[in-house]
Amino acid sequence: MSKKIVLVLTGLMMIAGFAAWVLQYREGLILTDLRNSYSWGLYVSGLAFFVGNAAGGLVLSSLIYLFGVTALKPFARIGALTAFANVTAAMLAILPDIGQPVRLYNMLLHPKLSSPLVWDVGVLNLYAILSLVYLYLLMLPDLKGPLARIALKVENPSEFSEKWARRIAPFSLIAAIGIHVVTAWIFSTQGAREWWHSAVLAPDFVAAAIASGTSVVMVVAVLVYGVKEEFREAYRIMSLMITVSLLVHIFFMYNDYFIQAWYGASESMETLSITFKDYLWAHAFEVLAPLAAVLLLSREKVRTSASAVVVSCLLLIAGIFTHRFLLMPAAFGKIPLTFPPMGLQGVEWSVPIASGRYDPTVDTFVTHAHYFPTGIEITIFLAVLAFACFLITLAVDRLPIVKKVQS
Amino acid sequence: MRRGMVIDLEKCIGCRSCAVACKQHNAQPAGNWWNRVVTPGSEFHGVAPVKGKELFLPVSCQHCANAPCEKVCPVDATFRHTDGSILVDLERCVGCRYCMAACPYGVRQFNWEDPTRSVQRYEYQDGYTYGHPKQYRLNGRLVYAPLRAKGVVEKCNFCVHYQAQGLDPACVRACPGKARFVGDLDDPNSEVSRMIREMNGFNLLPEKGTKPSVFYLPPKRKEV
Repeated sequence: MSKKIVLVLTGLMMIAGFAAWVLQYREGLILTDLRNSYSWGLYVSGLAFFVGNAAGGLVLSSLIYLFGVTALKPFARIGALTAFANVTAAMLAILPDIGQPVRLYNMLLHPKLSSPLVWDVGVLNLYAILSLVYLYLLMLPDLKGPLARIALKVENPSEFSEKWARRIAPFSLIAAIGIHVVTAWIFSTQGAREWWHSAVLAPDFVAAAIASGTSVVMVVAVLVYGVKEEFREAYRIMSLMITVSLLVHIFFMYNDYFIQAWYGASESMETLSITFKDYLWAHAFEVLAPLAAVLLLSREKVRTSASAVVVSCLLLIAGIFTHRFLLMPAAFGKIPLTFPPMGLQGVEWSVPIASGRYDPTVDTFVTHAHYFPTGIEITIFLAVLAFACFLITLAVDRLPIVKKVQS
Repeated sequence: MRRGMVIDLEKCIGCRSCAVACKQHNAQPAGNWWNRVVTPGSEFHGVAPVKGKELFLPVSCQHCANAPCEKVCPVDATFRHTDGSILVDLERCVGCRYCMAACPYGVRQFNWEDPTRSVQRYEYQDGYTYGHPKQYRLNGRLVYAPLRAKGVVEKCNFCVHYQAQGLDPACVRACPGKARFVGDLDDPNSEVSRMIREMNGFNLLPEKGTKPSVFYLPPKRKEV
């Protein structure tokens, strides 16, 4: 019953988001709060967020099939499913950011090989296909009844599934690390943006992704399997994974800030002050919420309560989302063309940028841009989130995601 | 041949004719300015700095030799002309705005809405239109159009449509201070190369390694 409610609610949200996108397509991106000086916002943060959430498949399949952690085996299908749902959501999240979506065929006709965006589109699609193949292989032994039509005819489906899952595991591991690294490179290759231009961004994306991706799997696992005795060990291992990768993520992040703050170059101090002054509350949340979540998950008592696990994991995911959102303010809030003007002592000065949005009551040339997503942007983002939830719920309902017989 | 520009800040009087000429000749939508003249050190755009001295700095696309915008473009819509200038294929651009994030000079602009509607925001009198009326294609690629589609990126195209007629860019022709010069940076004997060499020409943000094709000549000391 509750599944039906979820499907209806997420379905309605998707319709609302689609309507918002059609409206934005007709009117142009003027319906967003973006402008020339602050040209990426919630949609691009959404890409990074959903790519991170897709890491679950990697964690599970590599732990089970490469490192022999059999306790996690019942959740392998959930891992592949959430990976597929989130990687497709990532591609949907970036679609409304494109000014001329009908021209996207040019990515196939004229791909520029030096562009990290081209690599990202390639690796995201590869990962989506791999996750789907993986999910299919894992479900193969249970494709019975009406689903038998789509089942591959092999002599021993269980053995076949096991053998191929093991064979594909290393490739899915490489592709899964690839999506985070390449997505991070979109940002970290850009010398124009001090905030992104860091060698630690790619490893940090991997760490944050393992934390949030595993949390996504854990939420779904707890919702469909509950917190029965036989899964205690699996939840303990996943909590450990989440905790370790979150701590690595926080270490990477502060390691980067520490080096910048110690040297004290005015350019990095300005980007740091955007995060630590203008967005202090958001920054506090991105650190404290996931820390609180892993503290909770470290307790046996929390792990034996389904609702407590869900709340903890959602808290962590919300923290990582905030982290993704904070990719933008410090990158665009400060104009990159900043220099000490000739003949003036001790002054750093930013060259104003034409905002591209004319309003007779506001300056056209801006040196500071504040951005907050508009209703259209938020509706579209929530619709993409709803899409991921819809897909996962529908699959759990219709496909043999949950193992009926436990050994 | 590497087309470059020299802007002599000593001669610049801050009249912003170049920005206006650029805006009008290239039919820029409301709020977009491919070329802007700023007053370094001032608290608000266009006012004198609180202390020190006033100077004017015109900034438009730097047509970098190592252009991040060219490298990030996923569809090769931003491309390099044989003379080294960076152009945008207005028919191929998908509008991902990666180039805008990549550009350290903030010169790339986006068509946030339909250009006709955008220009109406200025409430010009009926019948007033601006912009070079004819499209221009370079090897079949649309690099100038009086009406760009909404959702594409645009920027200074070094007035490639005027070059074809043997004319200098609009900003050069419109400058009453004769502060702007165009020439071949590859030729050590060209006027621009000589000026850069003899008058301490410099680039903006040399530390970013973008190797701009726009050089500035420093102004003499002026007390205000």
